[in-house]
Amino acid sequence: MIATAELPTNRDEAFRWADLAALQAARALPAESATVPDPILPDAQRLVIVDGHLVDHLSRAVDLTIERAAIASDHALGRHAGGQGHRIALAPRSVTTIEIARVNAGEDSHTPLEIALGEDAVLTLVETYTGAGWSNALTRFDLARGARVMRAVRVVDAEGFVSARDEVVIGEAASFVCVTLGAATASTRFDAALTLTGEGAFAEYGGALLTAAEQRQECAVRVRHAEPNGQSHQLWRAVAADRSTASLAAAVEVARDAQKTDGEQSLRGLLLQRTATVNLKPELEIFADDVKCAHGATVGELDARALFYMQSRGIAKPRAQALLTRAFVADALDRIADETVREAFVADADAWLERAL
Amino acid sequence: MTMLKIENLHAEIDGKPILKGLSLTVNAGEIHAIMGPNGAGKSTLGYVLGGRPGYEVTEGSVSFDGQDLLDLEPHERAAAGLFLGFQYPVEIPGVSNVQFLREALNAQRATRDEKPLSGAEFLKLAREEAKKLDMDAEMLKRPVNVGFSGGEKKRNEMVQMGIVNPKFAILDETDSGLDIDALRIVGDGINRIMRAPDKAVLLITHYQRLLDYVKPDFVHVLADGRIVRSGGAELAHELEREGYAGVAA
Ligand SMILES: Nc1ncnc2c1ncn2[C@@H]1O[C@H](COP(=O)(O)OP(=O)(O)O)[C@@H](O)[C@H]1O
Ligand SMILES: [Mg+2]
Repeated sequence: MIATAELPTNRDEAFRWADLAALQAARALPAESATVPDPILPDAQRLVIVDGHLVDHLSRAVDLTIERAAIASDHALGRHAGGQGHRIALAPRSVTTIEIARVNAGEDSHTPLEIALGEDAVLTLVETYTGAGWSNALTRFDLARGARVMRAVRVVDAEGFVSARDEVVIGEAASFVCVTLGAATASTRFDAALTLTGEGAFAEYGGALLTAAEQRQECAVRVRHAEPNGQSHQLWRAVAADRSTASLAAAVEVARDAQKTDGEQSLRGLLLQRTATVNLKPELEIFADDVKCAHGATVGELDARALFYMQSRGIAKPRAQALLTRAFVADALDRIADETVREAFVADADAWLERAL
Repeated sequence: MTMLKIENLHAEIDGKPILKGLSLTVNAGEIHAIMGPNGAGKSTLGYVLGGRPGYEVTEGSVSFDGQDLLDLEPHERAAAGLFLGFQYPVEIPGVSNVQFLREALNAQRATRDEKPLSGAEFLKLAREEAKKLDMDAEMLKRPVNVGFSGGEKKRNEMVQMGIVNPKFAILDETDSGLDIDALRIVGDGINRIMRAPDKAVLLITHYQRLLDYVKPDFVHVLADGRIVRSGGAELAHELEREGYAGVAA
């Protein structure tokens, strides 16, 4: 068990909004049995990870090469998930769909995973966090030239605390797209460092964090453009109800050599009640001179005029609020390319809205 | 039969009195035009009848079909048969016209214990209404009013009115922003949808020109929060000739 002294505190700038009290409380609760969620894609390769361990008889990984590997990180939370884990190597030009269930019955679970894609390999990846306790994941991606990842991550039916650290290296003309949905009662921390190490690499990293009650969710993402002609988009939407807090920190770093970089950040928060909080922290660090970086960061409430317009057409207020909030969240979820996955995520967001409104 | 009865209505916004003792009775089968200078309180009257938050009624009463209108939530007023055509229709990014209107219609139907329309049934109805108002059916798929021109927004209000088929419509400057062809189409639409013995209309307008298409039974002049004069259709012509200053004085 990791000593409390080894965890970050709110005094650390990078963790000032983090719900570390919820993390401690989650660890303290005894483990109970946890149910494995149904897959969204029943025909996909399936990995079921329970309490940090890959469970072979629940998994179905017929075509996957999975080997044991040591995985390390120096990230404040991610490093605790480092150690002996699994490495999945996808052959050049292979096309793979994997769905991972990450189930935690309680207490701590730490899951190191590495996925390496050969040239022009394509991966569709869905991950679902459920359960309780503290789920801590470290996931590394390495994309060779022209590889493509389309990833969707959701936290549903989870309480306690979920922290996920992604470390992603995107090679020449490779593309990494990740959409995350936080729609459970668990407090969360989504941490990511993406590096575009090849010319013309593409990164999209964003999602929707829906918070209620006293919950806190946050992301802290850094995209680093190291080479020219890269493109990155960070589009996050936060919806905060009650006394909850959602925090979006997104940084773009453009190295001196990374000319013609096209970077976009769009961070938007929606307060369902005035007692809720959304923190936004967009950051740009640009060392090249020929770059295009658009960024927008706004927090607001539902448009009262639109609400009344909808009500005056016969739609009751809670439903009108749900429709407007749904449209707000859709900006982020629309980035999920696979229709079945997108619809499942939208349904999760809808279920959250039903509860919150 | 009396449909709408407004008695001594006083209303304020942010503590500022806007309506100052307005009384008006509209019977089934009638079309009433309300005209008046800018800032007179015409839109405020529409919003108060629609139940917009922030528009506080401080005195007076409004009954609609025998029930206390002011006691109903805005969506209940819609279900009761009231339709408010907005002077400035609102844009709703991310919500398609089709979804919005189907939700609206089915919510109204549910309140009235009627069966909901299926997606296909609704689409058929919406396409027919769009066609009658010469609106491209493709616009039904677009987000509500987003990127619509002023005239398209007004036409969309009429398509919505056709779809929900209300008993009573308050149309706030539906004619503004329309060119002469659109004005005729919208005027025909109002007559087609609302000219019936069991329906009524309150037509708020600045100009005589819409009244050439939709002949009012009564014309009222609203100034400084009150009805200051009432008459027949000829009053609108008098206003056109002499201006509000002369007529309302
Ligand atoms: N939201 C508001 N807050 C404060 N005053 C308002 C608001 N809306 C309208 N008013 C005022 O109410 C009066 C009546 O406005 P309105 O009903 O829009 O007039 P009309 O439609 O006849 O031109 C005007 O003096 C206007 O400035
Ligand atoms: Mg007006």
